[in-house]
Amino acid sequence: MKLINFEFLKLRKKSRGWLGPILVFILIMTAFPLTVEILNKNLEQAFFSILWIATLLVMMLATEDIFLEDYNDGSLEQMAIKYDSLSGLVATKIFVYWVLIGIPISLIGALYGFGITRSSESALQILPILLITTYIFLNVFSFGNALSLTKGSILGTLITMPLVLPLLVVLGKVVIAINLGISFLGFLFLLLGILSIIILILPMIISFVIKAHLE
Amino acid sequence: MKKILAADNLCYSINETKLFQGLSFDLFEGKAIHVLGGNGSGKTSLLKIISGLSKPTRGSITKSNKKNVCFVGHKNALKQYLTVEDNLSLLEVDKHNDINAFLKKLELSKLLDVMVASLSYGQQKKLALLRLFLNDSDLLVLDEPCVGLDRKSQDILCSFLREQKEEKKALIFSSHISLDVDSEYINLDKAIS
Repeated sequence: MKLINFEFLKLRKKSRGWLGPILVFILIMTAFPLTVEILNKNLEQAFFSILWIATLLVMMLATEDIFLEDYNDGSLEQMAIKYDSLSGLVATKIFVYWVLIGIPISLIGALYGFGITRSSESALQILPILLITTYIFLNVFSFGNALSLTKGSILGTLITMPLVLPLLVVLGKVVIAINLGISFLGFLFLLLGILSIIILILPMIISFVIKAHLE
Repeated sequence: MKKILAADNLCYSINETKLFQGLSFDLFEGKAIHVLGGNGSGKTSLLKIISGLSKPTRGSITKSNKKNVCFVGHKNALKQYLTVEDNLSLLEVDKHNDINAFLKKLELSKLLDVMVASLSYGQQKKLALLRLFLNDSDLLVLDEPCVGLDRKSQDILCSFLREQKEEKKALIFSSHISLDVDSEYINLDKAIS
Protein backbone atom coordinates (compact mmCIF):
# COMPACT_ATOMS: atom_id res chain seq x y z
CA MET A 1 0.00 0.00 0.00
CA LYS A 2 2.89 2.32 0.85
CA LEU A 3 4.42 1.64 -2.57
CA ILE A 4 1.14 2.49 -4.31
CA ASN A 5 0.88 5.78 -2.38
CA PHE A 6 4.46 6.72 -3.27
CA GLU A 7 4.00 5.94 -6.94
CA PHE A 8 0.71 7.88 -7.01
CA LEU A 9 2.40 10.86 -5.36
CA LYS A 10 5.26 10.79 -7.87
CA LEU A 11 3.14 10.46 -11.00
CA ARG A 12 0.43 12.86 -9.78
CA LYS A 13 2.96 15.62 -9.13
CA LYS A 14 4.68 15.02 -12.46
CA SER A 15 1.75 16.28 -14.53
CA ARG A 16 3.52 15.97 -17.90
CA GLY A 17 3.87 12.23 -17.15
CA TRP A 18 0.11 11.55 -17.13
CA LEU A 19 -1.50 14.64 -18.65
CA GLY A 20 0.76 14.63 -21.73
CA PRO A 21 -0.35 11.20 -23.05
CA ILE A 22 -4.02 11.97 -22.34
CA LEU A 23 -3.81 15.27 -24.26
CA VAL A 24 -2.02 13.57 -27.17
CA PHE A 25 -4.80 10.96 -27.25
CA ILE A 26 -7.49 13.66 -27.31
CA LEU A 27 -5.58 15.50 -30.03
CA ILE A 28 -5.36 12.41 -32.25
CA MET A 29 -9.00 11.48 -31.74
CA THR A 30 -10.15 15.05 -32.42
CA ALA A 31 -7.86 15.67 -35.37
CA PHE A 32 -8.72 12.44 -37.17
CA PRO A 33 -12.32 13.37 -38.21
CA LEU A 34 -11.11 16.85 -39.20
CA THR A 35 -8.47 15.56 -41.59
CA VAL A 36 -10.59 13.15 -43.63
CA GLU A 37 -13.20 14.16 -46.13
CA ILE A 38 -15.40 11.09 -46.02
CA LEU A 39 -19.00 10.28 -45.33
CA ASN A 40 -20.08 9.82 -41.75
CA LYS A 41 -20.58 6.08 -42.32
CA ASN A 42 -17.00 5.58 -43.52
CA LEU A 43 -15.83 7.62 -40.55
CA GLU A 44 -17.49 5.09 -38.26
CA GLN A 45 -15.70 2.20 -39.95
CA ALA A 46 -12.29 3.84 -39.68
CA PHE A 47 -12.90 5.06 -36.12
CA PHE A 48 -12.01 1.83 -34.33
CA SER A 49 -8.74 1.40 -36.24
CA ILE A 50 -7.72 4.94 -35.31
CA LEU A 51 -8.77 4.29 -31.71
CA TRP A 52 -6.57 1.18 -31.35
CA ILE A 53 -3.57 2.79 -33.04
CA ALA A 54 -3.95 5.97 -30.96
CA THR A 55 -4.16 3.88 -27.78
CA LEU A 56 -1.07 1.92 -28.81
CA LEU A 57 0.99 5.04 -29.55
CA VAL A 58 -0.14 6.89 -26.44
CA MET A 59 0.67 3.94 -24.18
CA MET A 60 4.09 3.78 -25.81
CA LEU A 61 4.53 7.48 -25.06
CA ALA A 62 3.24 7.10 -21.49
CA THR A 63 5.82 4.48 -20.55
CA GLU A 64 8.72 6.47 -21.99
CA ASP A 65 10.33 7.20 -18.62
CA ILE A 66 8.52 4.73 -16.38
CA PHE A 67 11.86 3.42 -15.01
CA LEU A 68 14.36 5.88 -16.45
CA GLU A 69 13.84 8.62 -13.88
CA ASP A 70 14.18 6.23 -10.92
CA TYR A 71 17.24 4.69 -12.56
CA ASN A 72 18.92 8.05 -13.14
CA ASP A 73 18.28 9.50 -9.68
CA GLY A 74 19.30 6.31 -7.81
CA SER A 75 15.85 5.37 -6.44
CA LEU A 76 16.01 1.99 -8.18
CA GLU A 77 19.37 1.28 -6.50
CA GLN A 78 17.80 1.95 -3.10
CA MET A 79 14.80 -0.26 -3.89
CA ALA A 80 17.05 -3.08 -5.13
CA ILE A 81 18.99 -2.97 -1.83
CA LYS A 82 15.80 -2.91 0.21
CA TYR A 83 13.88 -5.69 -1.56
CA ASP A 84 14.98 -9.09 -2.89
CA SER A 85 12.76 -8.70 -5.93
CA LEU A 86 11.70 -5.54 -7.72
CA SER A 87 8.66 -7.22 -9.29
CA GLY A 88 6.31 -5.73 -6.66
CA LEU A 89 7.58 -2.26 -7.46
CA VAL A 90 7.29 -2.89 -11.22
CA ALA A 91 3.71 -4.20 -10.91
CA THR A 92 2.78 -1.23 -8.69
CA LYS A 93 4.25 1.29 -11.13
CA ILE A 94 2.36 -0.23 -14.06
CA PHE A 95 -0.87 -0.32 -12.04
CA VAL A 96 -0.52 3.36 -11.07
CA TYR A 97 0.17 4.31 -14.71
CA TRP A 98 -2.93 2.38 -15.72
CA VAL A 99 -5.08 4.15 -13.11
CA LEU A 100 -3.84 7.63 -14.00
CA ILE A 101 -3.44 7.18 -17.76
CA GLY A 102 -5.02 3.91 -18.92
CA ILE A 103 -8.43 4.38 -17.28
CA PRO A 104 -8.91 8.03 -18.39
CA ILE A 105 -7.91 7.10 -21.95
CA SER A 106 -10.34 4.18 -21.95
CA LEU A 107 -13.16 6.45 -20.74
CA ILE A 108 -12.32 9.16 -23.27
CA GLY A 109 -12.04 6.52 -26.02
CA ALA A 110 -15.49 5.17 -25.14
CA LEU A 111 -16.84 8.72 -25.14
CA TYR A 112 -15.42 9.34 -28.61
CA GLY A 113 -16.93 6.00 -29.62
CA PHE A 114 -20.32 7.23 -28.54
CA GLY A 115 -19.80 10.57 -30.31
CA ILE A 116 -18.83 9.03 -33.62
CA THR A 117 -20.93 5.85 -33.77
CA ARG A 118 -23.85 7.48 -31.90
CA SER A 119 -24.45 4.14 -30.27
CA SER A 120 -24.22 3.87 -26.50
CA GLU A 121 -24.10 0.09 -26.90
CA SER A 122 -20.90 0.23 -28.97
CA ALA A 123 -19.37 2.69 -26.52
CA LEU A 124 -20.12 0.39 -23.60
CA GLN A 125 -18.77 -2.60 -25.50
CA ILE A 126 -15.43 -1.01 -26.29
CA LEU A 127 -14.90 0.30 -22.73
CA PRO A 128 -13.88 -3.06 -21.15
CA ILE A 129 -11.81 -3.88 -24.24
CA LEU A 130 -9.97 -0.57 -23.89
CA LEU A 131 -9.43 -1.05 -20.15
CA ILE A 132 -7.83 -4.46 -20.70
CA THR A 133 -5.88 -3.39 -23.78
CA THR A 134 -4.32 -0.36 -22.12
CA TYR A 135 -3.13 -2.54 -19.22
CA ILE A 136 -1.59 -5.05 -21.64
CA PHE A 137 0.10 -2.30 -23.68
CA LEU A 138 1.51 -0.69 -20.51
CA ASN A 139 3.02 -4.01 -19.40
CA VAL A 140 4.56 -4.82 -22.77
CA PHE A 141 6.00 -1.34 -23.36
CA SER A 142 7.34 -1.20 -19.80
CA PHE A 143 9.24 -4.37 -20.65
CA GLY A 144 10.63 -2.62 -23.73
CA ASN A 145 11.67 0.37 -21.65
CA ALA A 146 13.37 -1.84 -19.10
CA LEU A 147 15.32 -3.58 -21.90
CA SER A 148 16.76 -0.32 -23.18
CA LEU A 149 17.00 1.51 -19.85
CA THR A 150 20.50 2.79 -20.51
CA LYS A 151 20.21 3.14 -24.29
CA GLY A 152 17.13 5.32 -24.85
CA SER A 153 13.64 4.07 -24.26
CA ILE A 154 12.24 4.24 -27.79
CA LEU A 155 14.60 1.49 -29.02
CA GLY A 156 13.32 -1.05 -26.50
CA THR A 157 9.72 -0.10 -27.15
CA LEU A 158 10.22 -0.70 -30.86
CA ILE A 159 11.74 -4.11 -30.12
CA THR A 160 8.62 -5.09 -28.16
CA MET A 161 6.26 -3.77 -30.86
CA PRO A 162 5.97 -7.20 -32.60
CA LEU A 163 4.63 -8.59 -29.30
CA VAL A 164 1.53 -6.39 -29.53
CA LEU A 165 0.83 -6.99 -33.22
CA PRO A 166 -1.20 -10.20 -32.55
CA LEU A 167 -3.20 -8.15 -30.07
CA LEU A 168 -4.05 -5.65 -32.81
CA VAL A 169 -5.35 -8.55 -34.93
CA VAL A 170 -7.61 -9.61 -32.03
CA LEU A 171 -8.80 -6.00 -31.63
CA GLY A 172 -9.65 -5.93 -35.34
CA LYS A 173 -11.81 -9.04 -34.87
CA VAL A 174 -13.52 -7.39 -31.90
CA VAL A 175 -14.52 -4.48 -34.13
CA ILE A 176 -15.93 -6.88 -36.73
CA ALA A 177 -17.93 -8.63 -33.98
CA ILE A 178 -19.27 -5.30 -32.66
CA ASN A 179 -20.16 -4.08 -36.17
CA LEU A 180 -21.95 -7.35 -37.02
CA GLY A 181 -23.76 -7.25 -33.71
CA ILE A 182 -22.50 -10.69 -32.66
CA SER A 183 -21.16 -11.55 -29.21
CA PHE A 184 -17.63 -10.37 -28.56
CA LEU A 185 -17.42 -12.00 -25.11
CA GLY A 186 -15.07 -14.69 -26.44
CA PHE A 187 -12.57 -12.01 -27.45
CA LEU A 188 -13.04 -10.27 -24.10
CA PHE A 189 -12.14 -13.48 -22.26
CA LEU A 190 -9.21 -14.05 -24.61
CA LEU A 191 -7.88 -10.57 -23.77
CA LEU A 192 -8.46 -11.21 -20.05
CA GLY A 193 -6.50 -14.46 -20.36
CA ILE A 194 -3.60 -12.66 -22.10
CA LEU A 195 -3.67 -9.97 -19.41
CA SER A 196 -3.62 -12.54 -16.58
CA ILE A 197 -0.54 -14.25 -18.02
CA ILE A 198 1.18 -10.92 -18.65
CA ILE A 199 0.47 -9.61 -15.14
CA LEU A 200 1.97 -12.77 -13.64
CA ILE A 201 5.06 -13.04 -15.80
CA LEU A 202 6.17 -9.64 -17.10
CA PRO A 203 6.80 -7.78 -13.79
CA MET A 204 9.12 -10.63 -12.79
CA ILE A 205 11.02 -10.52 -16.09
CA ILE A 206 11.20 -6.69 -15.98
CA SER A 207 12.56 -6.94 -12.43
CA PHE A 208 15.41 -9.24 -13.63
CA VAL A 209 16.17 -6.91 -16.53
CA ILE A 210 16.37 -3.86 -14.22
CA LYS A 211 18.62 -5.72 -11.77
CA ALA A 212 20.94 -6.60 -14.65
CA HIS A 213 21.13 -2.90 -15.57
CA LEU A 214 21.95 -1.95 -11.98
CA GLU A 215 24.94 -4.34 -11.79
CA MET B 1 32.61 -9.01 18.72
CA LYS B 2 30.00 -9.80 16.05
CA LYS B 3 31.16 -10.10 12.46
CA ILE B 4 28.89 -8.01 10.22
CA LEU B 5 30.63 -8.64 6.92
CA ALA B 6 33.20 -11.08 5.54
CA ALA B 7 34.76 -10.63 2.10
CA ASP B 8 36.64 -13.60 0.75
CA ASN B 9 39.06 -13.41 -2.18
CA LEU B 10 37.03 -10.77 -4.05
CA CYS B 11 37.88 -10.10 -7.66
CA TYR B 12 36.14 -7.63 -9.95
CA SER B 13 36.76 -7.00 -13.63
CA ILE B 14 35.13 -4.77 -16.22
CA ASN B 15 35.71 -5.74 -19.86
CA GLU B 16 38.75 -7.90 -19.08
CA THR B 17 40.29 -5.10 -16.97
CA LYS B 18 40.87 -6.27 -13.43
CA LEU B 19 39.97 -3.54 -10.93
CA PHE B 20 40.95 -5.55 -7.86
CA GLN B 21 41.63 -9.17 -7.02
CA GLY B 22 42.33 -11.37 -4.01
CA LEU B 23 40.65 -8.89 -1.68
CA SER B 24 39.72 -10.41 1.69
CA PHE B 25 38.68 -8.59 4.82
CA ASP B 26 36.27 -8.78 7.77
CA LEU B 27 34.18 -5.96 9.20
CA PHE B 28 33.07 -6.20 12.82
CA GLU B 29 30.40 -4.25 14.70
CA GLY B 30 31.62 -0.88 15.96
CA LYS B 31 34.43 -0.80 13.38
CA ALA B 32 35.01 1.28 10.27
CA ILE B 33 36.89 0.70 7.03
CA HIS B 34 38.05 3.57 4.80
CA VAL B 35 38.44 2.42 1.17
CA LEU B 36 41.23 4.28 -0.60
CA GLY B 37 42.29 4.32 -4.22
CA GLY B 38 42.66 6.49 -7.28
CA ASN B 39 39.95 7.24 -9.83
CA GLY B 40 38.76 4.05 -11.49
CA SER B 41 40.41 1.80 -8.91
CA GLY B 42 37.07 0.13 -8.11
CA LYS B 43 35.97 1.87 -4.88
CA THR B 44 32.36 2.35 -6.03
CA SER B 45 32.27 -1.18 -7.49
CA LEU B 46 33.46 -2.63 -4.18
CA LEU B 47 30.85 -0.66 -2.20
CA LYS B 48 28.13 -1.75 -4.65
CA ILE B 49 29.19 -5.37 -4.23
CA ILE B 50 28.98 -4.98 -0.44
CA SER B 51 25.52 -3.38 -0.74
CA GLY B 52 24.32 -6.29 -2.88
CA LEU B 53 23.83 -4.20 -6.03
CA SER B 54 26.60 -5.95 -7.98
CA LYS B 55 28.17 -9.37 -7.94
CA PRO B 56 31.94 -9.92 -7.78
CA THR B 57 33.58 -11.62 -10.75
CA ARG B 58 35.05 -14.09 -8.26
CA GLY B 59 34.97 -14.54 -4.51
CA SER B 60 32.13 -14.07 -2.04
CA ILE B 61 30.59 -11.67 0.45
CA THR B 62 28.89 -12.93 3.59
CA LYS B 63 26.71 -10.55 5.59
CA SER B 64 25.17 -11.19 9.00
CA ASN B 65 21.92 -9.51 7.88
CA LYS B 66 21.57 -9.47 4.13
CA LYS B 67 18.92 -6.75 3.83
CA ASN B 68 19.91 -4.48 6.70
CA VAL B 69 22.24 -2.23 4.71
CA CYS B 70 22.12 1.55 4.35
CA PHE B 71 23.80 2.63 1.11
CA VAL B 72 24.50 6.26 0.24
CA GLY B 73 25.97 6.49 -3.23
CA HIS B 74 26.70 9.17 -5.81
CA LYS B 75 23.02 9.38 -6.75
CA ASN B 76 20.80 11.14 -4.22
CA ALA B 77 17.52 9.28 -4.95
CA LEU B 78 15.63 12.58 -4.72
CA LYS B 79 12.74 13.68 -6.91
CA GLN B 80 13.53 17.10 -8.34
CA TYR B 81 9.86 18.00 -9.02
CA LEU B 82 8.74 17.29 -5.44
CA THR B 83 9.14 19.46 -2.34
CA VAL B 84 11.59 18.64 0.44
CA GLU B 85 8.65 17.46 2.56
CA ASP B 86 7.39 15.09 -0.16
CA ASN B 87 10.90 13.71 -0.61
CA LEU B 88 11.18 13.06 3.13
CA SER B 89 8.00 11.05 2.85
CA LEU B 90 9.45 9.08 -0.11
CA LEU B 91 12.65 8.45 1.88
CA GLU B 92 10.36 7.13 4.65
CA VAL B 93 11.97 9.33 7.30
CA ASP B 94 9.19 11.93 7.73
CA LYS B 95 7.69 10.17 10.78
CA HIS B 96 11.04 9.57 12.53
CA ASN B 97 11.36 10.99 16.06
CA ASP B 98 14.67 12.72 15.31
CA ILE B 99 13.67 14.23 11.97
CA ASN B 100 13.16 17.77 13.23
CA ALA B 101 16.45 17.79 15.14
CA PHE B 102 18.38 16.72 12.04
CA LEU B 103 16.51 19.14 9.76
CA LYS B 104 17.46 21.97 12.13
CA LYS B 105 21.05 20.81 12.46
CA LEU B 106 21.43 20.62 8.65
CA GLU B 107 19.61 23.96 8.16
CA LEU B 108 16.85 22.35 6.11
CA SER B 109 13.89 22.99 8.39
CA LYS B 110 12.88 26.22 6.64
CA LEU B 111 13.03 24.60 3.22
CA LEU B 112 10.26 22.01 3.65
CA ASP B 113 7.97 23.63 1.05
CA VAL B 114 10.76 24.26 -1.45
CA MET B 115 11.13 22.17 -4.62
CA VAL B 116 14.27 20.03 -4.53
CA ALA B 117 15.21 21.37 -7.97
CA SER B 118 15.61 24.83 -6.38
CA LEU B 119 18.08 23.59 -3.75
CA SER B 120 21.85 23.80 -4.18
CA TYR B 121 23.82 20.58 -4.74
CA GLY B 122 25.08 20.70 -1.14
CA GLN B 123 21.55 21.10 0.26
CA GLN B 124 20.36 18.18 -1.87
CA LYS B 125 23.25 16.07 -0.58
CA LYS B 126 22.32 16.95 3.01
CA LEU B 127 18.72 15.97 2.31
CA ALA B 128 19.87 12.64 0.86
CA LEU B 129 22.06 12.07 3.92
CA LEU B 130 18.94 12.12 6.12
CA ARG B 131 18.40 8.54 4.94
CA LEU B 132 21.71 7.75 6.60
CA PHE B 133 21.15 9.85 9.71
CA LEU B 134 17.75 8.28 10.41
CA ASN B 135 18.60 4.71 9.46
CA ASP B 136 18.33 1.61 11.62
CA SER B 137 20.78 -0.56 9.69
CA ASP B 138 23.71 -2.56 11.06
CA LEU B 139 25.93 -1.82 8.10
CA LEU B 140 26.45 1.68 6.64
CA VAL B 141 28.01 1.86 3.17
CA LEU B 142 28.98 5.36 2.03
CA ASP B 143 30.43 6.28 -1.32
CA GLU B 144 32.12 9.69 -1.17
CA PRO B 145 29.66 11.05 1.41
CA CYS B 146 31.43 14.43 1.75
CA VAL B 147 31.17 15.52 -1.89
CA GLY B 148 29.33 18.85 -2.03
CA LEU B 149 29.13 19.29 1.74
CA ASP B 150 30.37 22.44 3.52
CA ARG B 151 32.78 22.18 6.48
CA LYS B 152 30.00 22.36 9.07
CA SER B 153 28.01 19.54 7.44
CA GLN B 154 31.16 17.43 7.10
CA ASP B 155 31.70 17.83 10.87
CA ILE B 156 28.08 16.83 11.55
CA LEU B 157 28.57 13.76 9.33
CA CYS B 158 31.84 12.75 11.05
CA SER B 159 30.35 13.23 14.49
CA PHE B 160 27.34 11.11 13.44
CA LEU B 161 29.61 8.35 12.10
CA ARG B 162 31.57 8.30 15.38
CA GLU B 163 28.26 7.96 17.29
CA GLN B 164 27.21 5.12 15.01
CA LYS B 165 30.46 3.28 15.75
CA GLU B 166 29.80 3.66 19.47
CA GLU B 167 26.33 2.19 18.84
CA LYS B 168 28.06 -0.94 17.47
CA LYS B 169 27.27 -0.30 13.82
CA ALA B 170 29.75 -1.19 11.10
CA LEU B 171 30.86 1.40 8.55
CA ILE B 172 32.61 1.15 5.24
CA PHE B 173 33.19 4.27 3.18
CA SER B 174 35.25 5.74 0.40
CA SER B 175 36.41 9.32 0.55
CA HIS B 176 39.12 11.34 -1.13
CA ILE B 177 39.30 13.63 1.88
CA SER B 178 40.30 12.45 5.31
CA LEU B 179 37.35 11.90 7.67
CA ASP B 180 37.76 12.31 11.40
CA VAL B 181 36.59 8.75 12.09
CA ASP B 182 38.87 6.10 13.54
CA SER B 183 39.10 3.44 10.85
CA GLU B 184 41.14 0.72 9.17
CA TYR B 185 42.21 1.17 5.56
CA ILE B 186 41.90 -0.81 2.34
CA ASN B 187 43.95 0.56 -0.53
CA LEU B 188 42.58 -0.70 -3.84
CA ASP B 189 45.62 0.59 -5.74
CA LYS B 190 47.52 -2.21 -4.01
CA ALA B 191 44.78 -4.81 -4.59
CA ILE B 192 45.93 -5.60 -8.13
CA SER B 193 48.72 -8.03 -8.74
